[in-house]
Amino acid sequence: MIAEGKIYFKYLRMHLLSGMEYKGWWLMLIQVLVVVISDPIATVLLFSRFGNIGEWTVAHIILVYALAVASFGLAESLCRGFDYFPWQMLRSGDFDRLLLRPRSLFVQVAASRFHLHRLVRPVTGICAVGWALSELGVSLTPGKLLILVLALAGGCIMYCGVFVLTSGLAFFTIKGLDWIYLLTNASYQITRCPEPYMPRALKSMFSFVLPMLFISFYPAAAVCGWNYPQWLGYLALPAGAAFLCFSLLVWCFGVRHYKSTGS
Amino acid sequence: MNFRSTCKACISLFRIRMAEGLQYRVSAISGVFVSVFWGLLECVLFTVFYTYSDNGAWNNNGLALPQTISYVWLAQGLFVLQTMSIDSEIMGKINNGDVGVELCRPLNLYTHWFVKSSAGKLGTAWLRSLATILAGLLMPAGYALGAPASALGFACFLLSAGMAFVLCSSFAMFVTAIRLNITWGDGPTYMLLLFSGILSGTYLPLRLWPDFMQTFLYLQPFGGFADIPVQLYIGSLTPSAALPAIGLQFFWSIVFIAAGRTIMNHKLKNIIVQGG
Repeated sequence: MIAEGKIYFKYLRMHLLSGMEYKGWWLMLIQVLVVVISDPIATVLLFSRFGNIGEWTVAHIILVYALAVASFGLAESLCRGFDYFPWQMLRSGDFDRLLLRPRSLFVQVAASRFHLHRLVRPVTGICAVGWALSELGVSLTPGKLLILVLALAGGCIMYCGVFVLTSGLAFFTIKGLDWIYLLTNASYQITRCPEPYMPRALKSMFSFVLPMLFISFYPAAAVCGWNYPQWLGYLALPAGAAFLCFSLLVWCFGVRHYKSTGS
Repeated sequence: MNFRSTCKACISLFRIRMAEGLQYRVSAISGVFVSVFWGLLECVLFTVFYTYSDNGAWNNNGLALPQTISYVWLAQGLFVLQTMSIDSEIMGKINNGDVGVELCRPLNLYTHWFVKSSAGKLGTAWLRSLATILAGLLMPAGYALGAPASALGFACFLLSAGMAFVLCSSFAMFVTAIRLNITWGDGPTYMLLLFSGILSGTYLPLRLWPDFMQTFLYLQPFGGFADIPVQLYIGSLTPSAALPAIGLQFFWSIVFIAAGRTIMNHKLKNIIVQGG
């Protein structure tokens, strides 16, 4: 376990250093920052035109949204390899080489990519969480901080699960995986809708299929003391872990049935 | 080289790319899935804002709720015409130096690539676009795509949608011409594509942006990608305003084509062919 961890960080360090060799590497940071900031613009503009929805102000939405985005960004930074796996590794046949090495497959695939600029998303997200909390007048106690950290950890694990699931399914379909976009970039868009007004179907899909609400809305509610049971806020980690377990099952099943592609 | 053989070459290029696009039906279906989900999500969001927000009922928003819902579906349908990234085949040619081979062909490079990229776009897009709009028509009452404001408006919509395709293609070629500067990398083109996407109205209907920006939003080129045709359909632009609006699309297409050609010709004079 420790040895695998060492390898993982060695991989990350290697990718980081090789990425820094390009002179314009910091340009990518700015580029991603623009993408991340422009994403919630539509929501902010809607609030400025329509005013608040009941008790929901723009800060409420940004808090929930930023939690989701930050955990997505974390997963994207740490598990980037899985995101590329179906396209870059499986179809080209490079995966066969990994199978020959006497090391954990999970670590090898997860660390096969790392881009520094992916970290811009979680950093911006966490800053936005801080802004929203100060806007809402919530002071952070150690207990509340714990909830937020658990939410981020759970969210990160959940999104890692999404990437692993994509890769696992790619063993069977090879192509035509665009719909997985629903679980990645489209999924955190649902946090733009205030939870009490969300249609029931959407709500149950994003709490029981993909535990989206457990990693974003309920922790936020617990921290700010909205009228929801406090214990729901602590469920982020177990919910994320459950999703990852399910994805790992699919992944392992896929690996066992893998027949080589490419040359 | 005469005009007729260029036309002939263009038509066959177009046919090849259209047939190629049809090969990827599975990816088109899964694309429709995403568009429909996205459209539904937007519908839910707008319904919440129009129904429960402080200023929602006070109808001074430029668009009524049914109009906005129709807007969402049509914008999703037209969205696929927009370039998200440079045509991958052309991109490959720029990166690995096949530009040199392309220059040997007895066909103007700009015309050649224009036809190739626009046909490639249309080949995958039309199926996805129609399926998304069909799904919008079949939605339950509150979330369904409504009928056009008038028959004349619908005719204007069709005309303007065709123009939007030309505009999108010429913008895509403009971006491709910029991308010929290999040393700049992906950054500038990516930014251009991002801004064009935000200002096209598929993000948020342009009428719902702040009022002081409206004149700018109307005149800027990217509204022609989706906003102008859709507004003609839902009637927030009347058919009498159609002529200047479509004229605007036409004007910007000409500007992009001229700029793209100029940049490309300038660049080709001292191009460095990469790879080997």
